[in-house]
Amino acid sequence: MGLSRREFLKRTAALTAASYVGINLPFKNENTSQASDADSWHKGTCRLCGAGCRLELGVKNGKAVALRGISDSRTNYGYLCMKGMLFYKLMGYNNPDRLKKPLYRKSKKEPFKEISWDEALNIAAKEFAKAVKNHGNNSVAYYGSGQALTEETYLFQKIFRGGLRTNNVEGNPRLCMASAVGGYLTSFGADEPIGSYTNFERASCFFIIGSNMAEAHPVLFRRVMRRKLDNRETVKVINADPRVSPTSRIADLHLQFKPGTDLALLNAMAHVIVKEKLYDETFLKNYATFRMGKKKEVSFEKYKEFLKDYTPEKAADICGGNITPEKIRTAALWFAKSEGTVSIWTMGINQRKRGVWANNLIHNLHILTGQLCRPGADSFSLTGQPNACGGVREGGGLCHILPGHRLVKKDKLRHQVEKLWGIPQGRIPPKPGYHTIAMFEAVNLGKIKAIWINCTSPAQSLPNCDKYRKGMSREDVFMVVTDIFPTKTTELANLVLPTAFHFEKTGVYGCTERRSQLTVKAVDAPGEAKPDVWIVREWALKLSKELNDPVIKKCVEPFLGKEPDYELPKAIWDEYTQKLTKGRDNDLRGATYEVLKKLPDGVQWPAPTKEWALKGGTDIKFVRGLDPLADKHAKDQKPYQFYGPAHPDKKLWIWLRPQRGPEEMPDSDYPFYLSTGRVIDHWHTSSMTGRIPELMRANPYAYVEINPKDAKKLGIKPGDMVEVASRRGKNILPAKVYVGPCEGMVFVYWHDQKESRMINRVTKDAFDPGSKEPEFKICACKIRKVSGPKPLKPFLVEMKT
Amino acid sequence: MKRFKVLLPSLILILCFCAMGSVVWADEHPELSDQEKLTACATCHIKATPDVYKEWFGSVHGIANVKCYQCHGTYEDFHVTPRETNCAPCHSGQFGKKPKGKTCWDCHPAHHFFIHK
Repeated sequence: MGLSRREFLKRTAALTAASYVGINLPFKNENTSQASDADSWHKGTCRLCGAGCRLELGVKNGKAVALRGISDSRTNYGYLCMKGMLFYKLMGYNNPDRLKKPLYRKSKKEPFKEISWDEALNIAAKEFAKAVKNHGNNSVAYYGSGQALTEETYLFQKIFRGGLRTNNVEGNPRLCMASAVGGYLTSFGADEPIGSYTNFERASCFFIIGSNMAEAHPVLFRRVMRRKLDNRETVKVINADPRVSPTSRIADLHLQFKPGTDLALLNAMAHVIVKEKLYDETFLKNYATFRMGKKKEVSFEKYKEFLKDYTPEKAADICGGNITPEKIRTAALWFAKSEGTVSIWTMGINQRKRGVWANNLIHNLHILTGQLCRPGADSFSLTGQPNACGGVREGGGLCHILPGHRLVKKDKLRHQVEKLWGIPQGRIPPKPGYHTIAMFEAVNLGKIKAIWINCTSPAQSLPNCDKYRKGMSREDVFMVVTDIFPTKTTELANLVLPTAFHFEKTGVYGCTERRSQLTVKAVDAPGEAKPDVWIVREWALKLSKELNDPVIKKCVEPFLGKEPDYELPKAIWDEYTQKLTKGRDNDLRGATYEVLKKLPDGVQWPAPTKEWALKGGTDIKFVRGLDPLADKHAKDQKPYQFYGPAHPDKKLWIWLRPQRGPEEMPDSDYPFYLSTGRVIDHWHTSSMTGRIPELMRANPYAYVEINPKDAKKLGIKPGDMVEVASRRGKNILPAKVYVGPCEGMVFVYWHDQKESRMINRVTKDAFDPGSKEPEFKICACKIRKVSGPKPLKPFLVEMKT
Repeated sequence: MKRFKVLLPSLILILCFCAMGSVVWADEHPELSDQEKLTACATCHIKATPDVYKEWFGSVHGIANVKCYQCHGTYEDFHVTPRETNCAPCHSGQFGKKPKGKTCWDCHPAHHFFIHK
């Protein structure tokens, strides 16, 4: 069942076919310098997905002029996608839209006025102090980003928790990978993947589910593609997705199931593995238990009993689409019998009402078959953002976690952090703060009076965003936004603070495969834009005075007097790694700035010593001889030691998780499934990529993709303007008609800033009760043709002063 | 006269080819309105240059979503034959190993990108 060249060519030929309408967009960007023009090159990491591609920035006369990949980096081997090769066009003065001065307005109805940094920080300090004094510590909040540097997230959360005594610390990674965290913790007892990208070159079977990695992680997809093309007959690729995407082009088997039936499909694969006795008995005996609850262990027999509801025949009925019992059997056999199977997933699995369960069921397949810890075998969640893992998961950027994978609610761990920070015990509250949806719900209700939004645009990226934009628009909610460009969120701010962009400041990103990589400042930020760490430090000092609270000052004391471009982030990184990761599973003590600078591609934790870090760190966790912590924590002679902090029995847990559909199912009023996702040319809300002419022109608007059978029934032709409406809101979008989404489903890109094409006005804000991650991927909608093709304008928010 | 009748169409044809040649080899894209410039390259080239499109679509560049503008630039910086520096963002490691006097596409034919010709 190998894939012939002819099939490759034929597969999804329609994917690039499109209908286009457009109009003038006078690009101001005239930077057309080429790689050869640079007179110096500076190493760093790409900031436009979670892959962590290493690259070099070319600088000429102090100006960023080019980017190129680093060929001896093990993340990308020199390859870059279009975003990675072009984002130098946003640096320094290359783009005229960059924010260059602090902007303020007392009322959100007024235009912004330029003010000085001193004034800006005084205002921010007074407003946060006022909220604390009048409404208590939980009336303030921080909402950050998986694109912020680790030093930035770490310092922000330190000030909020230790200084302002609130755990209202959240960030956009809640929207993309919180379910993956929940999955890893509950299945393996430890967050983040066991293996690395190196498994891509050693795998014999890829199970790609809920991930269009060809567009969302293009350089990693290239590695999978290369592996498949070089081994067409022996390497199998299974792509499970309700939508045929560019990723499907390399698939031997495409499992197109109805949205929300993934849990049944995964349980059915487990059913086949168990029934056909394809499981690894020794692995199970040594390393696994079966669970119905955290404290409710069950037997293998009970699990077998549970799986009886998921025969391939029953599952095929539930899944619909093109799923047949035979396809499920084939997928299960390939998965179990291959010498090494790597599963890969992203938002299609995580952004589900039962995202954690879906993660568990993928891990189940790996535990059952022993497809873990050996070359080419891994259960590997791809992270969307460049520093969701390093900064937010590891650095304490969510409401329930402290730096070093510590839980807020554990007294011992909380007190450890207080001691390491040198602040009084009890300073960090024991109760986790608001998770993202709850946080913006609290903004809506006026419970949060001052919020700091850093490097992200929730006014566009939250599901059902109109509901939360109302709260952000409240006059009694003071909102600070730190960013580099105007966004839908700066439109609702009182205070907009211009920050330095990537390569205009120094810091570390930690990518999907537990790899920390340093980017050192190479060019100056434009105007008065400042590194975020400087902003937080100076604000904290003023806040300390306003609240007459010396502990706030204590939080930044180790960093006083440090110059902000290198010494300050280095001091923060040193505190975080040397103190906070010591003895934790993400031990990064060996990964000092000096060590990171010596290596082409950084360090994978655990890396407790410099000697180990200089070897690159740990490629595969939990394996004795390969992971220093597996040796340190070994309780017996077994080759694998699952020492993760969340499982007291140090075992892997196979979960009995039933099929559960989405929160909102199509019905007679709203008969279609709506799903959303990315296109390769744009990053998130397109505030950056929309300002690069090549990228904007390649995808100037959001489209609604409609299956040709549905389009025919509704009389919709390519380019027609189509209304997509849900119970929450509507969009009017041009139609792309092709065999992408399955029948009964439409798919919309979410980068467009134009309000009539901003799909998060339509999506639903239901969330996973475990991970609190919203179910962006599925809701019910109706569609109708509004008109024939119309000229459209690409749109980007501009700052009006 | 009969001879002229034969020669004239040939002359016109030659002139046409020359004119086409001048378009093909100039580093200018045929003029487009700003509106048309908001169209992804492949949308027109699937019809305008179907052979090139087909070659690209089946190549590793096509499968890996390396798009036209990454090599040829955009309208402000368009090159029918890409400058080799445009290969550098991804293939800088290979540049040093390249035989002297050869272009990348001397050995890796454009739009197919086989390992070697």
